[in-house]
Amino acid sequence: MNRVWGMLFALLCAATGLSAQSDVPILSGALAFQGTSSGGANSFQPIIFPVLAAPLGDHWLVEARGEVQGFIARQNGNSGPYNGQFVPSFAYLQVDYIADSHVTVTVGRFLTPFNTYNERFPLWIANLVDQPIIFPIGTRTSASSNGGMVRGVALSRSKWNLTYAAYASVSTTTENLQSGRAAGGRLGIFLPQNGVEVGASYQRFLQTGGSNVAGTYFAWQPPPIPLDVRAEYAHSPGGQGYWIEGAYRFASSRDMNTWPTRLQAVARVQQYFKGNPTPMDFLPATNVNQFDFGLNYYLPHNVRLNGSYGRQYSPALNANIWNFEVTYRFLFPAWPGAHK
Amino acid sequence: MKKLLIALLGILLLVCSQKLFARPQTPATVQKTPKTVVNKNVPATGEQRFQANCGRCHNPPDSLSPREVKAVLQHMRVRAMLSAEDEQAILKYLAP
Repeated sequence: MNRVWGMLFALLCAATGLSAQSDVPILSGALAFQGTSSGGANSFQPIIFPVLAAPLGDHWLVEARGEVQGFIARQNGNSGPYNGQFVPSFAYLQVDYIADSHVTVTVGRFLTPFNTYNERFPLWIANLVDQPIIFPIGTRTSASSNGGMVRGVALSRSKWNLTYAAYASVSTTTENLQSGRAAGGRLGIFLPQNGVEVGASYQRFLQTGGSNVAGTYFAWQPPPIPLDVRAEYAHSPGGQGYWIEGAYRFASSRDMNTWPTRLQAVARVQQYFKGNPTPMDFLPATNVNQFDFGLNYYLPHNVRLNGSYGRQYSPALNANIWNFEVTYRFLFPAWPGAHK
Repeated sequence: MKKLLIALLGILLLVCSQKLFARPQTPATVQKTPKTVVNKNVPATGEQRFQANCGRCHNPPDSLSPREVKAVLQHMRVRAMLSAEDEQAILKYLAP
Protein backbone atom coordinates (compact mmCIF):
# COMPACT_ATOMS: atom_id res chain seq x y z
CA MET A 1 0.00 0.00 0.00
CA ASN A 2 2.74 2.44 1.00
CA ARG A 3 4.65 1.60 -2.15
CA VAL A 4 1.69 2.51 -4.38
CA TRP A 5 1.05 5.82 -2.66
CA GLY A 6 4.78 6.56 -2.58
CA MET A 7 5.15 5.97 -6.30
CA LEU A 8 2.10 8.08 -7.09
CA PHE A 9 3.42 10.92 -4.93
CA ALA A 10 6.88 10.67 -6.50
CA LEU A 11 5.33 10.75 -9.96
CA LEU A 12 3.27 13.77 -9.05
CA CYS A 13 6.35 15.61 -7.72
CA ALA A 14 8.42 14.68 -10.78
CA ALA A 15 5.68 15.73 -13.17
CA THR A 16 5.20 19.00 -11.32
CA GLY A 17 8.89 19.78 -11.47
CA LEU A 18 9.45 18.75 -15.05
CA SER A 19 6.28 20.09 -16.56
CA ALA A 20 6.62 23.22 -18.65
CA GLN A 21 4.67 26.24 -17.49
CA SER A 22 1.98 25.77 -20.11
CA ASP A 23 1.36 22.12 -19.23
CA VAL A 24 -0.95 21.23 -16.37
CA PRO A 25 -0.78 17.78 -14.82
CA ILE A 26 -4.27 16.60 -14.04
CA LEU A 27 -5.49 14.28 -11.35
CA SER A 28 -8.66 12.42 -12.20
CA GLY A 29 -10.25 9.08 -11.51
CA ALA A 30 -13.13 7.78 -9.47
CA LEU A 31 -14.36 6.81 -6.05
CA ALA A 32 -16.80 3.94 -5.94
CA PHE A 33 -18.67 1.74 -3.57
CA GLN A 34 -20.05 -1.59 -4.76
CA GLY A 35 -22.42 -3.97 -3.07
CA THR A 36 -22.86 -7.47 -4.50
CA SER A 37 -25.00 -10.45 -3.67
CA SER A 38 -23.98 -13.50 -5.68
CA GLY A 39 -25.76 -16.73 -4.90
CA GLY A 40 -26.59 -15.42 -1.44
CA ALA A 41 -23.02 -14.39 -0.58
CA ASN A 42 -22.82 -10.68 0.12
CA SER A 43 -19.73 -8.56 -0.39
CA PHE A 44 -18.87 -4.88 -0.40
CA GLN A 45 -16.08 -3.12 -2.25
CA PRO A 46 -14.93 0.43 -1.64
CA ILE A 47 -12.57 1.46 -4.44
CA ILE A 48 -10.46 4.45 -5.35
CA PHE A 49 -8.85 4.93 -8.77
CA PRO A 50 -6.52 7.92 -8.90
CA VAL A 51 -5.33 8.74 -12.43
CA LEU A 52 -2.45 11.10 -13.14
CA ALA A 53 -1.76 12.55 -16.59
CA ALA A 54 1.24 14.87 -16.86
CA PRO A 55 2.06 16.23 -20.31
CA LEU A 56 5.68 17.26 -20.79
CA GLY A 57 5.49 19.42 -23.89
CA ASP A 58 3.62 18.33 -27.01
CA HIS A 59 5.28 14.93 -27.43
CA TRP A 60 5.77 13.44 -23.98
CA LEU A 61 3.18 12.26 -21.52
CA VAL A 62 3.47 10.49 -18.17
CA GLU A 63 0.36 8.57 -17.12
CA ALA A 64 -0.41 6.51 -14.06
CA ARG A 65 -3.46 4.85 -12.60
CA GLY A 66 -3.41 3.34 -9.15
CA GLU A 67 -6.14 1.15 -7.72
CA VAL A 68 -6.89 0.58 -4.08
CA GLN A 69 -9.67 -1.92 -3.86
CA GLY A 70 -11.26 -3.16 -0.69
CA PHE A 71 -13.11 -6.43 -0.39
CA ILE A 72 -15.39 -6.95 2.61
CA ALA A 73 -17.23 -10.24 2.90
CA ARG A 74 -18.36 -12.83 5.41
CA GLN A 75 -15.67 -15.23 6.58
CA ASN A 76 -17.43 -18.36 5.27
CA GLY A 77 -19.27 -16.89 2.32
CA ASN A 78 -22.81 -16.90 3.73
CA SER A 79 -22.01 -16.96 7.43
CA GLY A 80 -19.52 -15.75 9.98
CA PRO A 81 -18.26 -12.26 10.73
CA TYR A 82 -17.38 -9.79 8.01
CA ASN A 83 -13.69 -9.52 7.20
CA GLY A 84 -12.07 -7.00 4.94
CA GLN A 85 -8.84 -6.54 3.07
CA PHE A 86 -7.49 -3.79 0.84
CA VAL A 87 -5.43 -4.58 -2.22
CA PRO A 88 -3.42 -1.79 -3.88
CA SER A 89 -2.07 -2.13 -7.40
CA PHE A 90 -0.99 -0.16 -10.43
CA ALA A 91 -3.09 -0.53 -13.56
CA TYR A 92 -0.63 1.52 -15.56
CA LEU A 93 2.47 3.59 -15.03
CA GLN A 94 3.77 4.58 -18.42
CA VAL A 95 5.70 7.13 -20.42
CA ASP A 96 4.30 7.93 -23.86
CA TYR A 97 6.18 9.50 -26.71
CA ILE A 98 3.76 10.85 -29.29
CA ALA A 99 6.11 10.68 -32.28
CA ASP A 100 3.73 11.96 -34.94
CA SER A 101 0.11 11.71 -36.01
CA HIS A 102 0.43 7.95 -36.56
CA VAL A 103 2.77 6.58 -33.90
CA THR A 104 2.85 6.67 -30.11
CA VAL A 105 5.56 4.71 -28.31
CA THR A 106 4.79 3.59 -24.77
CA VAL A 107 7.23 2.21 -22.23
CA GLY A 108 6.45 1.00 -18.73
CA ARG A 109 3.37 -0.67 -17.36
CA PHE A 110 0.26 -0.35 -19.50
CA LEU A 111 -3.19 -1.88 -19.88
CA THR A 112 -3.01 -4.92 -22.15
CA PRO A 113 -4.69 -3.96 -25.44
CA PHE A 114 -6.78 -7.07 -26.04
CA ASN A 115 -10.21 -6.31 -27.53
CA THR A 116 -11.63 -3.12 -25.98
CA TYR A 117 -13.09 -3.86 -22.55
CA ASN A 118 -9.83 -3.71 -20.60
CA GLU A 119 -8.67 -0.36 -21.96
CA ARG A 120 -11.91 1.50 -22.44
CA PHE A 121 -14.22 0.43 -19.67
CA PRO A 122 -12.91 1.34 -16.25
CA LEU A 123 -15.65 1.06 -13.65
CA TRP A 124 -16.73 4.69 -14.00
CA ILE A 125 -17.53 4.11 -17.69
CA ALA A 126 -18.64 0.46 -17.83
CA ASN A 127 -22.40 0.10 -18.10
CA LEU A 128 -22.57 -2.90 -15.74
CA VAL A 129 -20.65 -3.52 -12.54
CA ASP A 130 -19.45 -7.05 -13.34
CA GLN A 131 -16.76 -7.67 -15.91
CA PRO A 132 -17.64 -10.11 -18.69
CA ILE A 133 -16.84 -13.77 -18.01
CA ILE A 134 -14.32 -13.86 -20.88
CA PHE A 135 -12.43 -10.83 -19.53
CA PRO A 136 -9.37 -12.90 -18.38
CA ILE A 137 -8.84 -14.18 -21.94
CA GLY A 138 -6.07 -12.09 -23.44
CA THR A 139 -5.56 -9.98 -20.31
CA ARG A 140 -4.00 -12.38 -17.83
CA THR A 141 -2.20 -12.29 -15.54
CA SER A 142 -3.20 -8.87 -14.18
CA ALA A 143 -4.83 -7.07 -17.17
CA SER A 144 -1.61 -5.04 -17.40
CA SER A 145 1.65 -5.62 -19.24
CA ASN A 146 5.18 -4.50 -18.41
CA GLY A 147 7.25 -3.70 -21.47
CA GLY A 148 6.81 -1.66 -24.62
CA MET A 149 3.98 -0.83 -26.96
CA VAL A 150 3.53 0.95 -30.28
CA ARG A 151 0.06 2.23 -31.10
CA GLY A 152 -1.83 4.88 -32.98
CA VAL A 153 -3.94 5.67 -36.00
CA ALA A 154 -2.31 4.04 -39.03
CA LEU A 155 -4.62 5.70 -41.54
CA SER A 156 -7.08 8.51 -40.96
CA ARG A 157 -9.71 9.47 -43.52
CA SER A 158 -12.87 11.52 -43.16
CA LYS A 159 -15.04 8.38 -43.17
CA TRP A 160 -12.80 5.84 -41.46
CA ASN A 161 -9.80 5.39 -39.19
CA LEU A 162 -7.55 2.36 -39.05
CA THR A 163 -6.09 1.92 -35.55
CA TYR A 164 -3.44 -0.48 -34.29
CA ALA A 165 -1.55 -1.52 -31.17
CA ALA A 166 1.37 -3.94 -30.85
CA TYR A 167 3.14 -4.80 -27.62
CA ALA A 168 5.56 -7.10 -25.85
CA SER A 169 5.54 -7.79 -22.13
CA VAL A 170 7.91 -9.48 -19.71
CA SER A 171 7.01 -11.69 -16.78
CA THR A 172 6.97 -9.80 -13.49
CA THR A 173 6.10 -11.23 -10.12
CA THR A 174 6.72 -8.11 -8.03
CA GLU A 175 3.80 -7.39 -5.72
CA ASN A 176 1.32 -4.86 -7.18
CA LEU A 177 3.09 -4.94 -10.56
CA GLN A 178 2.47 -8.49 -11.83
CA SER A 179 2.43 -9.19 -15.55
CA GLY A 180 2.75 -12.12 -17.90
CA ARG A 181 5.30 -12.79 -20.61
CA ALA A 182 3.38 -12.20 -23.79
CA ALA A 183 3.26 -10.40 -27.13
CA GLY A 184 0.32 -9.41 -29.23
CA GLY A 185 -1.61 -6.74 -30.99
CA ARG A 186 -4.92 -5.32 -32.05
CA LEU A 187 -6.22 -3.89 -35.32
CA GLY A 188 -9.47 -1.96 -35.64
CA ILE A 189 -11.50 0.11 -38.08
CA PHE A 190 -13.71 2.94 -36.85
CA LEU A 191 -16.39 4.53 -39.05
CA PRO A 192 -17.27 7.75 -37.15
CA GLN A 193 -20.20 8.79 -39.36
CA ASN A 194 -21.93 5.45 -38.80
CA GLY A 195 -20.74 4.99 -35.23
CA VAL A 196 -19.38 1.54 -36.05
CA GLU A 197 -16.12 0.00 -34.88
CA VAL A 198 -14.87 -3.51 -35.56
CA GLY A 199 -11.54 -5.08 -34.80
CA ALA A 200 -9.55 -8.14 -33.90
CA SER A 201 -6.92 -8.99 -31.29
CA TYR A 202 -4.23 -11.61 -30.98
CA GLN A 203 -1.92 -12.60 -28.15
CA ARG A 204 0.82 -15.15 -27.86
CA PHE A 205 1.12 -16.02 -24.19
CA LEU A 206 4.70 -17.16 -23.64
CA GLN A 207 4.39 -18.79 -20.22
CA THR A 208 3.13 -22.19 -19.03
CA GLY A 209 3.94 -23.87 -22.33
CA GLY A 210 2.73 -21.03 -24.53
CA SER A 211 -0.69 -20.56 -26.06
CA ASN A 212 -2.44 -18.51 -28.70
CA VAL A 213 -5.37 -16.29 -27.80
CA ALA A 214 -7.55 -14.43 -30.29
CA GLY A 215 -10.57 -12.19 -30.12
CA THR A 216 -12.79 -9.86 -32.04
CA TYR A 217 -15.01 -6.93 -31.06
CA PHE A 218 -17.82 -4.82 -32.41
CA ALA A 219 -19.33 -1.53 -31.28
CA TRP A 220 -22.24 0.44 -32.72
CA GLN A 221 -23.57 3.78 -31.56
CA PRO A 222 -26.05 4.85 -34.28
CA PRO A 223 -25.85 8.67 -34.33
CA PRO A 224 -29.63 9.35 -34.45
CA ILE A 225 -30.54 7.29 -31.39
CA PRO A 226 -28.94 7.03 -27.92
CA LEU A 227 -28.25 3.33 -28.26
CA ASP A 228 -24.91 1.75 -27.42
CA VAL A 229 -24.35 -1.79 -28.65
CA ARG A 230 -21.13 -3.65 -27.94
CA ALA A 231 -20.00 -7.22 -28.34
CA GLU A 232 -16.82 -9.19 -27.93
CA TYR A 233 -15.71 -12.72 -28.63
CA ALA A 234 -12.53 -14.33 -27.32
CA HIS A 235 -10.96 -17.74 -27.73
CA SER A 236 -8.21 -19.43 -25.74
CA PRO A 237 -7.20 -23.03 -25.10
CA GLY A 238 -8.84 -22.71 -21.68
CA GLY A 239 -12.21 -21.74 -23.10
CA GLN A 240 -14.09 -19.40 -25.37
CA GLY A 241 -17.10 -17.16 -25.16
CA TYR A 242 -18.86 -14.00 -26.13
CA TRP A 243 -20.92 -11.19 -24.68
CA ILE A 244 -23.40 -8.80 -26.27
CA GLU A 245 -24.47 -5.66 -24.45
CA GLY A 246 -27.02 -3.00 -25.31
CA ALA A 247 -27.52 0.27 -23.42
CA TYR A 248 -30.26 2.76 -24.15
CA ARG A 249 -30.88 6.29 -22.87
CA PHE A 250 -34.55 7.17 -22.59
CA ALA A 251 -34.34 10.36 -24.64
CA SER A 252 -32.39 11.27 -27.73
CA SER A 253 -31.49 14.72 -26.46
CA ARG A 254 -28.00 15.11 -25.05
CA ASP A 255 -29.29 17.70 -22.61
CA MET A 256 -28.55 16.09 -19.25
CA ASN A 257 -31.02 18.29 -17.38
CA THR A 258 -34.00 16.02 -17.84
CA TRP A 259 -34.50 12.74 -16.03
CA PRO A 260 -35.06 10.61 -19.17
CA THR A 261 -31.63 11.57 -20.51
CA ARG A 262 -30.09 10.69 -17.18
CA LEU A 263 -31.63 7.22 -17.12
CA GLN A 264 -30.06 4.35 -19.00
CA ALA A 265 -31.24 0.75 -19.34
CA VAL A 266 -28.65 -1.94 -19.94
CA ALA A 267 -28.90 -5.60 -20.91
CA ARG A 268 -26.10 -8.08 -21.46
CA VAL A 269 -26.10 -11.69 -22.55
CA GLN A 270 -23.01 -13.86 -22.36
CA GLN A 271 -22.04 -17.46 -22.88
CA TYR A 272 -18.84 -19.23 -21.95
CA PHE A 273 -17.74 -22.66 -23.16
CA LYS A 274 -14.90 -24.27 -21.26
CA GLY A 275 -11.97 -25.82 -23.10
CA ASN A 276 -8.86 -27.39 -21.59
CA PRO A 277 -8.20 -25.42 -18.42
CA THR A 278 -4.63 -24.19 -17.99
CA PRO A 279 -3.06 -23.10 -14.69
CA MET A 280 -3.91 -19.57 -13.61
CA ASP A 281 -6.20 -18.82 -16.56
CA PHE A 282 -8.83 -17.32 -14.18
CA LEU A 283 -11.65 -18.83 -16.25
CA PRO A 284 -14.70 -20.77 -14.97
CA ALA A 285 -14.30 -24.51 -14.64
CA THR A 286 -17.66 -25.17 -16.32
CA ASN A 287 -19.79 -23.79 -19.11
CA VAL A 288 -21.68 -20.67 -18.06
CA ASN A 289 -24.69 -18.83 -19.46
CA GLN A 290 -25.60 -15.49 -17.94
CA PHE A 291 -27.84 -12.54 -18.56
CA ASP A 292 -27.81 -9.20 -16.76
CA PHE A 293 -30.23 -6.33 -16.74
CA GLY A 294 -29.44 -3.00 -15.15
CA LEU A 295 -30.45 0.61 -14.73
CA ASN A 296 -27.99 3.49 -14.51
CA TYR A 297 -28.86 6.96 -13.35
CA TYR A 298 -26.49 9.87 -13.96
CA LEU A 299 -26.82 12.39 -11.15
CA PRO A 300 -25.34 15.91 -11.38
CA HIS A 301 -21.71 16.50 -10.44
CA ASN A 302 -20.43 13.28 -12.04
CA VAL A 303 -22.18 10.90 -9.68
CA ARG A 304 -23.69 7.75 -11.11
CA LEU A 305 -25.90 5.08 -9.58
CA ASN A 306 -25.93 1.56 -11.01
CA GLY A 307 -28.22 -1.27 -10.11
CA SER A 308 -28.37 -4.61 -11.87
CA TYR A 309 -29.77 -8.09 -11.65
CA GLY A 310 -28.25 -11.11 -13.31
CA ARG A 311 -28.98 -14.78 -13.50
CA GLN A 312 -26.18 -17.26 -14.00
CA TYR A 313 -26.71 -20.80 -15.25
CA SER A 314 -23.94 -23.36 -14.96
CA PRO A 315 -23.69 -27.08 -14.13
CA ALA A 316 -21.98 -26.11 -10.87
CA LEU A 317 -24.50 -23.54 -9.67
CA ASN A 318 -27.47 -21.50 -10.81
CA ALA A 319 -27.34 -18.17 -9.03
CA ASN A 320 -28.93 -14.76 -8.81
CA ILE A 321 -26.46 -11.87 -8.93
CA TRP A 322 -27.46 -8.47 -7.60
CA ASN A 323 -25.17 -5.46 -7.90
CA PHE A 324 -25.37 -1.90 -6.69
CA GLU A 325 -22.77 0.78 -7.22
CA VAL A 326 -22.27 4.47 -6.54
CA THR A 327 -19.51 6.13 -8.54
CA TYR A 328 -18.11 9.61 -8.23
CA ARG A 329 -15.83 10.71 -11.03
CA PHE A 330 -13.44 13.56 -10.36
CA LEU A 331 -10.98 15.66 -12.36
CA PHE A 332 -8.93 18.61 -11.20
CA PRO A 333 -5.48 20.08 -11.79
CA ALA A 334 -2.70 18.44 -9.81
CA TRP A 335 -1.74 21.72 -8.17
CA PRO A 336 -3.86 24.60 -6.86
CA GLY A 337 -4.38 27.66 -9.03
CA ALA A 338 -3.95 25.92 -12.36
CA HIS A 339 -7.67 26.02 -13.11
CA LYS A 340 -7.52 29.19 -15.19
CA MET B 1 -31.59 -19.38 -22.25
CA LYS B 2 -32.84 -19.31 -25.86
CA LYS B 3 -36.16 -17.84 -24.75
CA LEU B 4 -34.35 -15.19 -22.76
CA LEU B 5 -32.16 -14.33 -25.72
CA ILE B 6 -35.16 -14.05 -28.00
CA ALA B 7 -37.02 -11.89 -25.45
CA LEU B 8 -34.05 -9.54 -25.01
CA LEU B 9 -33.51 -9.24 -28.75
CA GLY B 10 -37.23 -8.56 -29.15
CA ILE B 11 -37.12 -5.72 -26.63
CA LEU B 12 -34.04 -4.26 -28.28
CA LEU B 13 -35.60 -4.39 -31.74
CA LEU B 14 -38.82 -2.85 -30.44
CA VAL B 15 -36.97 0.06 -28.88
CA CYS B 16 -34.88 0.62 -32.01
CA SER B 17 -37.81 0.33 -34.37
CA GLN B 18 -39.71 3.01 -32.47
CA LYS B 19 -36.89 5.42 -33.18
CA LEU B 20 -35.80 4.31 -36.62
CA PHE B 21 -39.18 3.62 -38.14
CA ALA B 22 -41.33 6.11 -36.28
CA ARG B 23 -44.43 7.16 -38.21
CA PRO B 24 -44.27 10.66 -39.66
CA GLN B 25 -46.16 13.20 -37.64
CA THR B 26 -49.40 14.52 -39.03
CA PRO B 27 -49.17 18.04 -40.55
CA ALA B 28 -51.08 19.48 -37.60
CA THR B 29 -48.44 18.33 -35.11
CA VAL B 30 -45.28 18.88 -37.14
CA GLN B 31 -43.03 21.39 -35.46
CA LYS B 32 -41.12 23.58 -37.84
CA THR B 33 -37.89 23.62 -35.89
CA PRO B 34 -34.69 24.25 -37.82
CA LYS B 35 -32.65 21.13 -38.36
CA THR B 36 -28.91 20.76 -38.63
CA VAL B 37 -28.09 19.32 -42.04
CA VAL B 38 -24.94 17.22 -41.98
CA ASN B 39 -23.07 17.32 -45.25
CA LYS B 40 -20.87 14.24 -45.28
CA ASN B 41 -18.43 15.86 -47.72
CA VAL B 42 -17.60 18.66 -45.31
CA PRO B 43 -14.99 17.87 -42.61
CA ALA B 44 -16.64 17.10 -39.28
CA THR B 45 -16.76 19.91 -36.75
CA GLY B 46 -15.16 19.68 -33.34
CA GLU B 47 -18.52 18.94 -31.74
CA GLN B 48 -19.24 16.16 -34.22
CA ARG B 49 -15.81 14.67 -33.62
CA PHE B 50 -16.34 14.91 -29.87
CA GLN B 51 -19.66 13.09 -30.11
CA ALA B 52 -18.28 10.45 -32.49
CA ASN B 53 -15.11 9.72 -30.52
CA CYS B 54 -15.60 10.76 -26.90
CA GLY B 55 -19.39 10.88 -26.50
CA ARG B 56 -19.80 7.21 -27.26
CA CYS B 57 -18.16 6.31 -23.94
CA HIS B 58 -18.78 9.23 -21.58
CA ASN B 59 -20.56 12.53 -21.10
CA PRO B 60 -18.89 15.88 -21.82
CA PRO B 61 -16.64 17.01 -18.96
CA ASP B 62 -17.62 19.81 -16.65
CA SER B 63 -15.99 23.17 -17.19
CA LEU B 64 -12.26 22.83 -17.78
CA SER B 65 -9.66 25.47 -18.44
CA PRO B 66 -7.91 25.37 -21.84
CA ARG B 67 -4.73 24.07 -20.18
CA GLU B 68 -6.65 21.27 -18.52
CA VAL B 69 -8.40 20.43 -21.78
CA LYS B 70 -5.01 20.15 -23.50
CA ALA B 71 -3.77 17.71 -20.85
CA VAL B 72 -6.97 15.67 -20.96
CA LEU B 73 -6.87 15.46 -24.74
CA GLN B 74 -3.25 14.39 -24.79
CA HIS B 75 -4.18 11.67 -22.31
CA MET B 76 -7.20 10.60 -24.36
CA ARG B 77 -5.31 10.72 -27.63
CA VAL B 78 -3.20 7.86 -26.33
CA ARG B 79 -6.03 6.06 -24.51
CA ALA B 80 -8.71 6.27 -27.21
CA MET B 81 -6.34 6.46 -30.19
CA LEU B 82 -7.63 9.76 -31.50
CA SER B 83 -6.08 10.99 -34.71
CA ALA B 84 -4.06 14.23 -34.57
CA GLU B 85 -6.78 15.92 -36.64
CA ASP B 86 -9.50 14.81 -34.20
CA GLU B 87 -7.43 16.01 -31.24
CA GLN B 88 -6.99 19.48 -32.71
CA ALA B 89 -10.65 19.82 -33.72
CA ILE B 90 -11.90 18.69 -30.29
CA LEU B 91 -9.40 21.00 -28.57
CA LYS B 92 -10.84 23.95 -30.50
CA TYR B 93 -14.36 22.82 -29.60
CA LEU B 94 -13.74 22.38 -25.86
CA ALA B 95 -11.34 25.32 -25.46
CA PRO B 96 -12.16 27.80 -28.24
